[in-house]
Amino acid sequence: MANVPLNIDVLVIAAFAPILGVIAFWFLQLFMIEIQKRMLSRLRHRHEAFCRFTNYIGILFQAICQALGYTVTRSGIASFKVTVSEEQVEPKKEKEGVFDWISRSFLLFGPFFLPAGLVLLISYFIIGKGFVYLTPVDYTFVESLTGFWLSLSTLASEYINFLVNIDLLNPLHVGFLCVLLFFGLGIRPSYIGEGRKEKIDMFHDLRQIKDHLIEKPWYIAVIILILYMFYILSLFINPVLYIGLFTIFGWLSLTAIIAIFLTFPLLLLLYATDEIRPRWHIIPFLTVILSYVLARVVLFYYPTQKVNGISILIMLLSTFLITMILIKYKKTNRFKPTPKMKHLRDSDGKKRTIKK
Amino acid sequence: MVKKELLKNEQMERILSPHPLSFMKLQTLCIFVIVWGFLVFWLTDFSEYASMFAGNPWYPLILWGLVLLLAGVIASLVAIQWTIFFLYLFVFISAVGLLFWQHWENDSSLFIFIYSIAVSIVGFLLVELYRRSHKYIITNLRVIFKGGIFTKRERTIRYDKIADIDAKQGILGQIFGFGTIIPVSQSGFGLGSDKTLAAGGVEMGTSKARFFGFAGGGKEVQTPIARSYYELHGVYPYKDVKQLVEDMVQSHVPTQYQKEQIEFQKQQVDIQTQMRDLLHKQVREKPRKAVRQPIEAEVEEEDAEEEEVEEKVTGKKTVMTEEAFLPEQVDIQQQMKELLKKQKTARVNPPEEEEAEEEELEEEAESGKEKLGA
Repeated sequence: MANVPLNIDVLVIAAFAPILGVIAFWFLQLFMIEIQKRMLSRLRHRHEAFCRFTNYIGILFQAICQALGYTVTRSGIASFKVTVSEEQVEPKKEKEGVFDWISRSFLLFGPFFLPAGLVLLISYFIIGKGFVYLTPVDYTFVESLTGFWLSLSTLASEYINFLVNIDLLNPLHVGFLCVLLFFGLGIRPSYIGEGRKEKIDMFHDLRQIKDHLIEKPWYIAVIILILYMFYILSLFINPVLYIGLFTIFGWLSLTAIIAIFLTFPLLLLLYATDEIRPRWHIIPFLTVILSYVLARVVLFYYPTQKVNGISILIMLLSTFLITMILIKYKKTNRFKPTPKMKHLRDSDGKKRTIKK
Repeated sequence: MVKKELLKNEQMERILSPHPLSFMKLQTLCIFVIVWGFLVFWLTDFSEYASMFAGNPWYPLILWGLVLLLAGVIASLVAIQWTIFFLYLFVFISAVGLLFWQHWENDSSLFIFIYSIAVSIVGFLLVELYRRSHKYIITNLRVIFKGGIFTKRERTIRYDKIADIDAKQGILGQIFGFGTIIPVSQSGFGLGSDKTLAAGGVEMGTSKARFFGFAGGGKEVQTPIARSYYELHGVYPYKDVKQLVEDMVQSHVPTQYQKEQIEFQKQQVDIQTQMRDLLHKQVREKPRKAVRQPIEAEVEEEDAEEEEVEEKVTGKKTVMTEEAFLPEQVDIQQQMKELLKKQKTARVNPPEEEEAEEEELEEEAESGKEKLGA
């Protein structure tokens, strides 16, 4: 048993430190998701297939989370269907009360953490370092919060270090980057609607979660009580247990934030190439690959330190420069109507040549 | 070129070809070759395990070939198509032959990488050539399917012969908006079967006495399946094409009411034909002079109203005429009478009456059963 000072800070307030940390990071994740969703919805009319693909990943994870909820509550799964526009998971037995509440909790919270959990699992094997806990000494609120932050910042710095020095000729590194991008495009609970009228945003998600939590306040009270009991027990057994549990959730949010952040350059590249004439807009994508390979070949014959980092820098700079030059000199015709002409039809089926 | 092939009054609605990603199964075979070639190159020359392969220049080739053939076996079993295995076997044997011929044994891993890229490019080109050989023409009367690189194949199906439409859209299809539509004809063209077979064997005992058991089983499921040149394979935009084909089929398939109308008309034509034959027969029989006049009049008034005809047949006048005819002619008259009755009673049953009749029949059948039981 550790020497735990018995005061209000240690016994009550410190218990909320990691919870606050998780909530803060989760909000940050939600904010990043919202930015990504807005970027994707603006891209939709030009990159329909890309948006369908990202939708599919998001909906797939949502369906998996729902199925997981039904499995955990022993409701069973009667049907499982996932398409690019909808998911349908039906339980074998319709359960009520706490089981129904848990199932819906999986559906609402799962998409935020399940894909991130899978990435975190892979990153454990690829990065391997950075998964550290801080053992508390004073057991205060500030110390718990600092410990939580330190665990997350260590992992974040490892991620950044890995990404800066990533070797894109190493299949493992390329595979991990693809996983990050793939999951980064799908770590979100709601779907990008085809029409602009469909408003499913951050507030929609938050409202749903709020309604879900308010619906059964007793359950929340019980969960808080259980967590508090766990905190008190961990104080006397091993304080790292409690902080560790919430640190994992913090890592999940951090992984999700990094994965989403990595998708931004890709989305920006898509935005930029939309400004370039059709025959030329493939060039920035080719520049990404060719500039990196060229840099690696040159640095192979003229060895220097930080080869991977320099190659990445050369790749990013050359892609940026080439894209800017193309936007300046090969800009696409602005007078083209954005929606496809074939979609402009009257109700009687006759084709129209101008927008109504 | 296509317009020449059209029939009279035939109009072309759409000319389609498969989406570039619709042959992803074939393209995946090429992708696997290139990815595995790169992996072997990296593993044997640049990874931390490179020292394991440093001893013998044949190690990379053996590793590459074994995994390639294993993948070929797995893919062949999954796709139930042994061509994949033999294709990979050919790729492997060619690589070994080229390596021996050019004496590139010392750079085997680099050779594998470059060879994989070259083979994959050839593979991609062949797949693209195969894709481009497909052409689907949707007209207002039929769907024409064309395909094949060396052997040109063609299938034509009229909309009125389509019994069923099977449509499927995979994940890639959903993302990129393409899908496959299989029109199943009434003769069953477009239907295939998926066969699965499982077998196992057990051998027990010592060298002197052994026991051997074997068990196996198979399952066959009828499913819409066709070659890519006999179906609308990976057509884009899938939803529009599906809607178009369904509309065409719908417009060429008669409804239940139309079917009943056609049946009714057929019956009427049959009756009228029989009546005409009977009248001709009656004229040919040469009846007595006294009665020839009314019969001729009757022939001339063939298209008169039914009531008048009935009067002629059933009235006193007819009775008198009958008495004047030969017995064969009396038979003809009777047959005509029956036909007229049949014509009058023949009608299109409305759906409600049909249902009521069916119910009555069922009730009768049940009561019959009860009686039999009693």
